[in-house]
Amino acid sequence: MEYLASDKIAIVDLNTGDITEDELDEDLVLDKIGGAGITKHLYDQHSAAHDTENGPIVLGTGLLTGTLVPGSSLGVMTAKSPSTGKVSHVPLSLDAGIELKYSGFDYIVIKGSADKPVYLWIHDGILDINDAGDLWGKDTWAATDHIRDEMGDDLIQVLSIGQAGENASDLAQIGINYWQSADRFGFGKLCGEKNLKLIAIRGMGLLEISEPEAFVEDCAELIAAIRSNTTTQKQGIAAVSAALGEEDLGDWLEPLTHRHMACFNTPVATNTFLFTDEDPALLEETTVTEPGFLFTDIFPLVVLKKAGLSAKDAGLVLKACAKYGIDGAAVAELSATSGLTDPAEIEKTFPDLKGPVESAGESVFSPWAAVGQDINANWERRQAVAYILGLHPIWFQMATDLTEEKLLDLAGLGTEMEFTPDTLDEVIADILA
Amino acid sequence: MGIQIDAIKCTACMACELACGYHRDDAFALLSSCIVPYRGREKKNYVGVILKEEDSLVAARPEGIEINRIGEEQDPEKEADASAKPMLLRESCDLCDDVDEGPLCITFCPTGAISMA
Repeated sequence: MEYLASDKIAIVDLNTGDITEDELDEDLVLDKIGGAGITKHLYDQHSAAHDTENGPIVLGTGLLTGTLVPGSSLGVMTAKSPSTGKVSHVPLSLDAGIELKYSGFDYIVIKGSADKPVYLWIHDGILDINDAGDLWGKDTWAATDHIRDEMGDDLIQVLSIGQAGENASDLAQIGINYWQSADRFGFGKLCGEKNLKLIAIRGMGLLEISEPEAFVEDCAELIAAIRSNTTTQKQGIAAVSAALGEEDLGDWLEPLTHRHMACFNTPVATNTFLFTDEDPALLEETTVTEPGFLFTDIFPLVVLKKAGLSAKDAGLVLKACAKYGIDGAAVAELSATSGLTDPAEIEKTFPDLKGPVESAGESVFSPWAAVGQDINANWERRQAVAYILGLHPIWFQMATDLTEEKLLDLAGLGTEMEFTPDTLDEVIADILA
Repeated sequence: MGIQIDAIKCTACMACELACGYHRDDAFALLSSCIVPYRGREKKNYVGVILKEEDSLVAARPEGIEINRIGEEQDPEKEADASAKPMLLRESCDLCDDVDEGPLCITFCPTGAISMA
């Protein structure tokens, strides 16, 4: 695969410590396009009876991830959910998808289980399995700091588990750096079973484009249209929530809002940083080590607000969830059901918290992006397109003018390959089967 | 005439960085960009933009613009951002002089944080 790819798939066997590499075959791309189309294919290919109970975890990126196509931030994690039993897909948002895209690997299959704690270090087309003895037992914040300090690079993206994953909770989440991810499926438990503490990723590669001028010209037209559309100009988690028909969180969050932060090349900032322990109006760099929390998930905020928590207390609860590596949406749902509103009391429930929870949804795609919308066939198709091509799934729900036809055209311009609507239909059907 | 950056409007999406990288490499890459949102203070949510110009390194911080002349001694008390170190090795901003529509970082910035001065 010459264009928009690194042309490399890694297969990591944690049972033996062996790492093998395959090329990304063009026929596979023509058949499955990319993203969840290929991660699902690789999952099926590498699922085996001798594997750990829930099979491999497959990481990958979409065909258009890391390009100038607006919203092209997405990476994908595919595995069998311990909570729903389905082969499911979690979006890698923030900068995790882009760093993976430029890491020198298109897809990574993680099989088996290590006999002692390990972590994966992925960079420059190199993948190492390293000892994680010093990391096991640390919360996700401490683990992220440890890796970044050790490597001397604060831009390394860290997908890690906390104590919830280490203790095999069904509600364990794989977090992204210090923040909550869209993992509503308990993928953190899978990492715990594999003795895999974290995956550290840094991308400094280069992606060739088949027809660069035409590709970038089309992207420029798209961003110009997006900038003239008021819906796709919303900024911040509260504005996105309201724009998609979910509860307006604006008045609740505003007094503590510091800034809105976007995932890579995503026109709408779907994340909002609240300063809970610092003046939100501060412009200079704070001297407080942990001034607040980046809200990345609308659902738990809505639930915690309805349960009567202040925005500050919601921040404290979700920060504790992120550190412990437990799904904030599940915690919000279960604490609301039990009537708990005190952050310290809620945190005490983490070790024994169990589902089932409705927040996992019934789709193979994370309901993280089902903001204000029913999970139906239209929503699933739009999600599938986002996960295959590498587009931010919340933003893609807002960018209704961005058509499948246009995206397939761009995929063709970028790769010198032809992708038809029929192929897309087949890939989507396979993912949803 | 040059690039003007409003760091308050920046959401650190890196579209400018990728657009600049494309201008340099005719491919998608980030290592040769002369404009870079600095995102290394993640826990503190301190974000701005660094621009390499011919004679200076411009740090567009939320609290204001800081211009450091290249070659002049810097304040040893000030902590350097890891993102800034490789910037000195990169080519300076040429305002995308071969692009009719003007600098690509402006074209692709979704929030209007970058403009012509």
